[in-house]
Amino acid sequence: MSSIQESLWADFFAGGRLACARLITAVENDPDALPEILDRIIPAQRGGFRIGVTGPPGVGKSTVTAALARRAVRAGHAVGILAVDPTSPFSGGAFLGDRIRMQDLGDGRRVFIRSMASRDGHGGLSPATRYAADVLDAFGLDRIFIETVGVGQAELDVIGCSDLVVLVLQPGTGDIIQALKAGIIEAADLVLVNKSDLQGTEALLESLRFMMDIRPVRKDRPFPRVLEASALLDRGMDEAAAEVERLIGDCVGSGRHREKRLHRLEQEIRSAIQRWLWEDFAALAGADESIRAVAEELLSAGRSPYSYIRETCSRVRVGFRDERAARGKEA
Amino acid sequence: MAERKIKVIIAKPGLDGHDRGAKVVARALVEAGMEVVYLGLQQTPETIVGAAVEEDADVIGLSILSGAHMTNFRKVRELMVGAGLGDRLLTGGGIIPTKDQDKLKELGVGRVFGPGDDLQDIVDYIRRNARRTSK
Amino acid sequence: MKGPPVEKKPSRAWKEKFEGSGLRDADFSSISGRPLEPLYTWEDAAVADPGARLGFPGEFPYTRGVHPSMYRGKLWTMRQFAGMGTPDQTNERYRFLLEKGQTGLSVAFDNPTLYGRDSDHQLAVGEVGKTGVAVDTLADMERLFAGIPLDQVSTSMTINAPAAWIFAMFLANAEKRGIGFDKLRGTLQNDILKEYIAQKEWIFPPEPHLRLITDLMAFCAAEVPQWNTISISGYHIREAGSTAAQELAFTLADGFCYVEHALAAGLDIEDFAPRLSFFFNSHLDFFEEIAKMRAARRIWARAMRDKYMAKSPRAWLCRFHVQTAGCSLTAQQPELNIVRTALEALAGVLGGCQSLHTNSMDEALALPSEKAVEIALRTQQIIAFESGAANVIDPLGGSYYIEKLTDELEAEAERYFRRIDELGGVVKAIEQGFFQREITRAAYEYQMALSRRKKFHVGVNEFVNPGEKLEIPLLEIDEAVERDQVAFLRRTKAERDNGAVRESLDALKAAAAGGRNLMPPLLECARRYVSLGETSDALTEVFGQYREQPFY
Repeated sequence: MSSIQESLWADFFAGGRLACARLITAVENDPDALPEILDRIIPAQRGGFRIGVTGPPGVGKSTVTAALARRAVRAGHAVGILAVDPTSPFSGGAFLGDRIRMQDLGDGRRVFIRSMASRDGHGGLSPATRYAADVLDAFGLDRIFIETVGVGQAELDVIGCSDLVVLVLQPGTGDIIQALKAGIIEAADLVLVNKSDLQGTEALLESLRFMMDIRPVRKDRPFPRVLEASALLDRGMDEAAAEVERLIGDCVGSGRHREKRLHRLEQEIRSAIQRWLWEDFAALAGADESIRAVAEELLSAGRSPYSYIRETCSRVRVGFRDERAARGKEA
Repeated sequence: MAERKIKVIIAKPGLDGHDRGAKVVARALVEAGMEVVYLGLQQTPETIVGAAVEEDADVIGLSILSGAHMTNFRKVRELMVGAGLGDRLLTGGGIIPTKDQDKLKELGVGRVFGPGDDLQDIVDYIRRNARRTSK
Repeated sequence: MKGPPVEKKPSRAWKEKFEGSGLRDADFSSISGRPLEPLYTWEDAAVADPGARLGFPGEFPYTRGVHPSMYRGKLWTMRQFAGMGTPDQTNERYRFLLEKGQTGLSVAFDNPTLYGRDSDHQLAVGEVGKTGVAVDTLADMERLFAGIPLDQVSTSMTINAPAAWIFAMFLANAEKRGIGFDKLRGTLQNDILKEYIAQKEWIFPPEPHLRLITDLMAFCAAEVPQWNTISISGYHIREAGSTAAQELAFTLADGFCYVEHALAAGLDIEDFAPRLSFFFNSHLDFFEEIAKMRAARRIWARAMRDKYMAKSPRAWLCRFHVQTAGCSLTAQQPELNIVRTALEALAGVLGGCQSLHTNSMDEALALPSEKAVEIALRTQQIIAFESGAANVIDPLGGSYYIEKLTDELEAEAERYFRRIDELGGVVKAIEQGFFQREITRAAYEYQMALSRRKKFHVGVNEFVNPGEKLEIPLLEIDEAVERDQVAFLRRTKAERDNGAVRESLDALKAAAAGGRNLMPPLLECARRYVSLGETSDALTEVFGQYREQPFY
């Protein structure tokens, strides 16, 4: 079991950037240290807003993120950016090429940029991304941009991680809407059509409007606004940034922000318990090897696995039953 | 199960746009399973070390073909030590005469590579020498 | 007398014997990865209609050479690229080279100058005079060319982003010495497109740079008629790791883009096209390089005559300078570079170049020493005067292999042109990272081929001398150069008429915003000793600074 040295915590809470970076490394690499890290960080969080930026590859997410971040800094916020790039399933390595497009953020002290590889995030976000955002929140950053890979699961993962989702699209790439996963457009809080100087902007805006007309009305909030911009030419980004701030205000005021944080907490509890129980169970029962052996047998015999599953689980439940019985006696 | 990956920053300080070597090395390191932050051209020692801090990088690799290697390596090394990254590996490549390579070693810079060095050697060197602080 | 019955394919018998014999376990593709047949015969040759495909030297489509007499009439210009330290030091090197028999000057500038910055700029620290000569103002031009007869010696200047204002300083210097602009001969590299593709020396976004180029072309057509306004370059693209076909295609595509821009700006193709020139690499794969150069002439001639409808044959010529491949040089066993350079130079000559630079053996390590550069020059002289290679025009013409290779390279280039068109042209393709990705991929594949020993680099991954010590005396640039240059700049700035400086910069900005030809105001700035950096800053105010969207 490894632990974080007190001196590192002291540095972190004093605003040490390397300490912050090292904590992010710890949440990426050391799942055993996670509980103790979260124990210390969560009380220190100040409600930093997580803004997810997602969309298909090549639409200019990094440039958009940089443009929004620049304006957040100018408005006096302390800004963090988590830029996630895919881990190669073959080599296990990753080319982290987002921050190169974010070089011009003015005051380096008010922005903290960290590149992350998606690791075993199944093509989506790194599982550590949400914890990295927690670290940045505790560090005192109040606007945390999470920029995703934009393929596969990532777009949906980012919804779980973020308080607000900006979906970036670009014109002229064929049937972009069909290509997007069902769910992402509904989950977006703002749709930004980037590279609006290119041909096909009108057509894309039309498709978006049409799409929103034929979907059932969202229960909890209105459809996202659709804005056009060119992050590279620095056009339309003031409006986009203003809309983001307005949405943030709404989100807090309506209680949605609290809902999201609640949901993330619940998720953490569920997934951690699932993980830990499984790990304990696997350790006790030698699960991986015995499951493989059982599966071999079942396959040859052509039988269903459910008797095995029931029997295994009941062995675990013995422990629970005893505890319930004990509690029942107290009641 | 998260594994420790080696995090490498590759950058070109100063005014030199010849990035063939930097890109090829970056790619080779990715193929070898490392996480490479490619900072690109026209970096200053300050932006490079600033990024290394935020990225908690294990390795900084500078590509310098312009003759300004002594100035740049010296300054980057100084900033690294000042920022608490003194135990990380500072390496690089380009056009660096042998006698300057010796001077660089004295400054605390690792081995530097030149035209003709084998990619695999570079990858192996970085893998063996990338340093990490203990928690 | 009758021989054995003629088979359908005469090569079949040989082919069988060939396959039956033991073959070496080696990679027989070209350095670009092109698969090659073991033998080329009359069955492959493009002998159908040799008149149309080959023609004669000096005749459309110029496959065999741009001039009717080629080297029988005039040898290629021996033009060694040189520049280091301060303008005074470079001036000494120029005089040395001219004395040794060089026939044209070629100026290499240092990094800060290439990026349009003064020697005292913060990003210039440590780089002044290191990879070329530092030029900040007209005063430096004066020192650089002191005692050199600019009306008798042609001068090539390898500069791109700030080419127009460096050229203005060159003109202002000639003017001061009483040399008429019409007497000046030379070339400006001035090829901004390949910067976005390969070398990365830019200041503004593409459109303002392209406008500066067409302004310069218009100005020269009227005032400096013997000047080559662009040297459309493939050398750097190749150095960045491209294949031969990519070098050929991307270079010519850039050329087409300049032509189209000039036409759109209202220039007359008969005026500007004869002053376009090219610059190719000569790499290690001997035959591929020769074929590449022949293909270049044929492709360009056809495009200029049939697509762009130029009427004058002078507009159809792909005249080019060649430099032997820097990336082929090794730091290990550096004397071997003399051999490599000799082979590459020979390929350039057999490819029909108009001028040639041969690299020095120590250039993998540093700027060339006097001894090394002398050997490089002598290499050309041996080829010209001893080897007989210059005695016959296009001596490899008609070789089955060379003609087949020429055809193949032309076809590959055409495929690339179509792809670039699909992407919307060169500028759009640059914005989408098309060239950059192709080049990076080729570079990586070659490096991997070396790693896997499919390709060889003697002294590096084969025939290595372990523990070798380098004995070559290297040229070192004294740190004093930067101090001296900065001091000189400060003095120049103090002694000039700073009121006139401000006026001329204001006039420049007004012309830039107002769409007028920028050469006259640039010339005025040069005359007043406005510095390179001051000019770049003024124009950046109007045009903006380019930010690359990087691609890998």
